[in-house]
Amino acid sequence: MIDRSIKTVEFKGETIPVVRLYLRSLDVQQVESALSQSLGGSPDFFDGELAVADLGAVGDGACVPDWERIREVCSARGLRLVALTNAGEFGDGARAAGLTVLSRAPAPPRRASRQPSAKENAAEASAQTASAPAADGSASLLVERPLRSGQQVYARGRDVVLLAQASAGSEVIADGNIHVYAPLRGRALAGAKGDTDARIITTCFEPELVSVAGIFQTFDDGIPEALARRPVQVRLSSSEVGEPTLVIEPLTIV
Amino acid sequence: MTRIIVVTSGKGGVGKTTTSAAFASGLAMCGFKTAVIDFDVGLRNLDLIMGCERRVVYDFVNVINKEATLNQGLIKDKHCDSLFVLPASQTRDKDALTEEGVERVIEELKAMAFEYIVCDSPAGIETGALMALRFADEALVVTNPEVSSVRDSDRILGILQAKSKRAQDGRGPVKEHLLLTRYSPKRVNDGEMLSYKDVQEILRIPLIGVIPESEAVLQASNKGTPAVHLQGTNVAEAYLDVVARFLGEERQMRFVDYQKPGLFKRLLGGR
Repeated sequence: MIDRSIKTVEFKGETIPVVRLYLRSLDVQQVESALSQSLGGSPDFFDGELAVADLGAVGDGACVPDWERIREVCSARGLRLVALTNAGEFGDGARAAGLTVLSRAPAPPRRASRQPSAKENAAEASAQTASAPAADGSASLLVERPLRSGQQVYARGRDVVLLAQASAGSEVIADGNIHVYAPLRGRALAGAKGDTDARIITTCFEPELVSVAGIFQTFDDGIPEALARRPVQVRLSSSEVGEPTLVIEPLTIV
Repeated sequence: MTRIIVVTSGKGGVGKTTTSAAFASGLAMCGFKTAVIDFDVGLRNLDLIMGCERRVVYDFVNVINKEATLNQGLIKDKHCDSLFVLPASQTRDKDALTEEGVERVIEELKAMAFEYIVCDSPAGIETGALMALRFADEALVVTNPEVSSVRDSDRILGILQAKSKRAQDGRGPVKEHLLLTRYSPKRVNDGEMLSYKDVQEILRIPLIGVIPESEAVLQASNKGTPAVHLQGTNVAEAYLDVVARFLGEERQMRFVDYQKPGLFKRLLGGR
């Protein structure tokens, strides 16, 4: 029986979130080890999310990429690589391997490791998911009610200020800084689009996870006594050499 | 003015139905015309705890589907003249609850001059639970002093503020009350249970009462008598305190401190 009130085909213009994966190398081994490194603590961080690889920053003299293997490496970590952007000379090879090549994409931000994942954003409980971009990029997103377990807030292109607690099981994401003037017990991801200068500042530090520009830390063995439930700031180390690391330090209030 | 109160928790088995029965009875004992509705379609319990299971002819779903009038569905409580029970259906599933249907029943109850409507929510965060909290003005969040119950309560608090009609219409947030049940001061003292202060620190909503763990609750359920009617028990006293605080009275928290049994009490075999 066909219900005639339901259309078989329907068109809707929609924005579906994808993960943009910046590849600076197309060597399978290098990609694999880099993925393992950055997702080390949580191999199931991605859960079948669609990914578009951005080749804009691939160095010169790259080898002929083995797209089959690169896809496998990604899918082993829950990322479904479906398309390329900024493909340049690699376009033809990728098309032959069955990947879609997107023509043009907006200019990449300075550095990016993670797009906010929507998976915790359980549809039934996310009235507080506010993500309107600020017109001039300056005003912060202000959240005055508690962010409860299962809720998510995302400050697109700006800072977020929380005046009530972020419970365990909640998620605060900002492209800029995160300020929490209450207990921070959930996950906090600042610099979600790759801003390495972003910081997380809270008056009561008890999070499950903190991340700045994709560099993250969990607290499996508990939060160090010197930091737990105290004013703390989280930032990236500013060393010029090597990978930046997370610095979590007591916040001195002068 | 009718006030609608949802009794909710997220987690099952924490004492929602016991609380709904006791709280609604307490309000009725204070003279308020009160209705208590069982939203746990398919697993009805409230009528058992209220001791009216043998008088159920029509249920909430019959009224929603207009197979019976509201007056036919409402069962008058055997203890209080001003208390009425609307039982859940045993034979339908949760999808039988439609938002329009629930809203119509609530509007009809308002028109019948009910002063309080207590909605007994099922566990979980699915249709039944969402319908129970949809029209609420206030919420009793029933929590046991253990981490998974506290986490589920936190989750339901988020859903409450996101999904209640009141919050969506911009009529201000649903007023939240924390009710701790099955509280054992001794186990708290021994470090086996979260203290009420711990739970309050995690959830950060006002505490309306602490109901001690007691065998009397089980006996009351089996007899079909709401716990407030167990005269002289600490459970009844604690629920009456909750009702008084809800109605605006200030009362000190009782049954939260552990008193070591003295020598005489131990010798005489008291508990």
